[in-house]
Amino acid sequence: MIAVLGLVVGVVAGLLVRPEVPAAVEPYLPIAVVAALDAVFGGLRAMLDGIFDDKVFVVSFLSNVVVAALIVFLGDKLGVGAQLSTGVVVVLGIRIFSNAAAIRRHVFRA
Amino acid sequence: MSEREEQPANRLRKELPEEQPPGRPPVTDAPAGEAPQGDQPEPVAPTGRERLRKGLWPPRLTRAQLIVALLLFGLGFGLAVQVASNSESDGALRGARQEDLVRILDELDDRTQRLEDEKQGLEKQRDELENSSDQAEEARKQTQEKERQLGILAGTVAAQGPGITVTVEDTKGAVEADMLLDAIQELRAAGAEAIQVNGVRVVAGTYLADTDKSVSVDGNKINAPYRFQVIGKPQDLEPALNIPGGVVQTLEKEQATVTVEQSSKIVVDALRAAERPDYARSSSQ
Repeated sequence: MIAVLGLVVGVVAGLLVRPEVPAAVEPYLPIAVVAALDAVFGGLRAMLDGIFDDKVFVVSFLSNVVVAALIVFLGDKLGVGAQLSTGVVVVLGIRIFSNAAAIRRHVFRA
Repeated sequence: MSEREEQPANRLRKELPEEQPPGRPPVTDAPAGEAPQGDQPEPVAPTGRERLRKGLWPPRLTRAQLIVALLLFGLGFGLAVQVASNSESDGALRGARQEDLVRILDELDDRTQRLEDEKQGLEKQRDELENSSDQAEEARKQTQEKERQLGILAGTVAAQGPGITVTVEDTKGAVEADMLLDAIQELRAAGAEAIQVNGVRVVAGTYLADTDKSVSVDGNKINAPYRFQVIGKPQDLEPALNIPGGVVQTLEKEQATVTVEQSSKIVVDALRAAERPDYARSSSQ
């Protein structure tokens, strides 16, 4: 419950504060957000499976974000940033979908 | 949503990452997400729905909850910031990658170049048109100027300028046409530019003839005193008439009186109609 509150408070704070995204971070923020979403869905599924662990969640969350940003950074350096970030988004999207499917089975039994 | 780790049945799975590699089939891609088939059949495992309900209510302030809340706060914050910055007015360019921006910039440069070229072409055309209209105007002016100058020679326009007035008093009727013609020739030789005598313009084709007791100029009879109005350089015209054995002396020998008067402003306003030559045509075209 507190976690859900944290999410809501974060969204509200982001909308209210409207900080300028630093130019250095700008290309990585969307990918990082998608990676974090993937981690959150994974965590939600683990919780429904009864195997949730906060340490694992924290590590996976942070490593997801860092690795995603790193891949995009590397792609930009290699000159294939657009394609690579597309690939990252596709992979993360697939994972989000499969996690969402598992969550759906838990919640709706279907 | 994190308090499940106290469940003894799940202790053995605790250290596994929640998104599982394919090596763990029951967790990652079990086609039916309900876990009981594989790992923990022995306790009465609560269903996912129950776990969710328990996780949501009642809220518990645990370390795990706080950490997850913190991370989710960060996620929500980043999400909102990204959505906000993406939906700004210049979002299309803001989210674009460097190579896209370079491409867009190149396209804009090309477009600018094209428009610049077009502008230069149009400006050049405009200048040409202006020049040609200027040239036409200039040609028209020159033509008018020439027409005026030629009109002075042809006697179709009035003229004014410095010059002299020559008056020949002839009480005895001794002056004849050839004497007047001599006077006119002498004036022309001295640089007279426009001449009229008694209201008749003297031009290139002017003829003088004797008619009874008087003289006719171009068919117009004129009587003494003969009054020449001459435009030219007065300092040239007067001596030309006064030279020894010249016009003045010849006329005075015939008992006529000649008066020459310099003036800074002589008006020659007698006109001739412009006549189109019957045969001669301009060959300049």
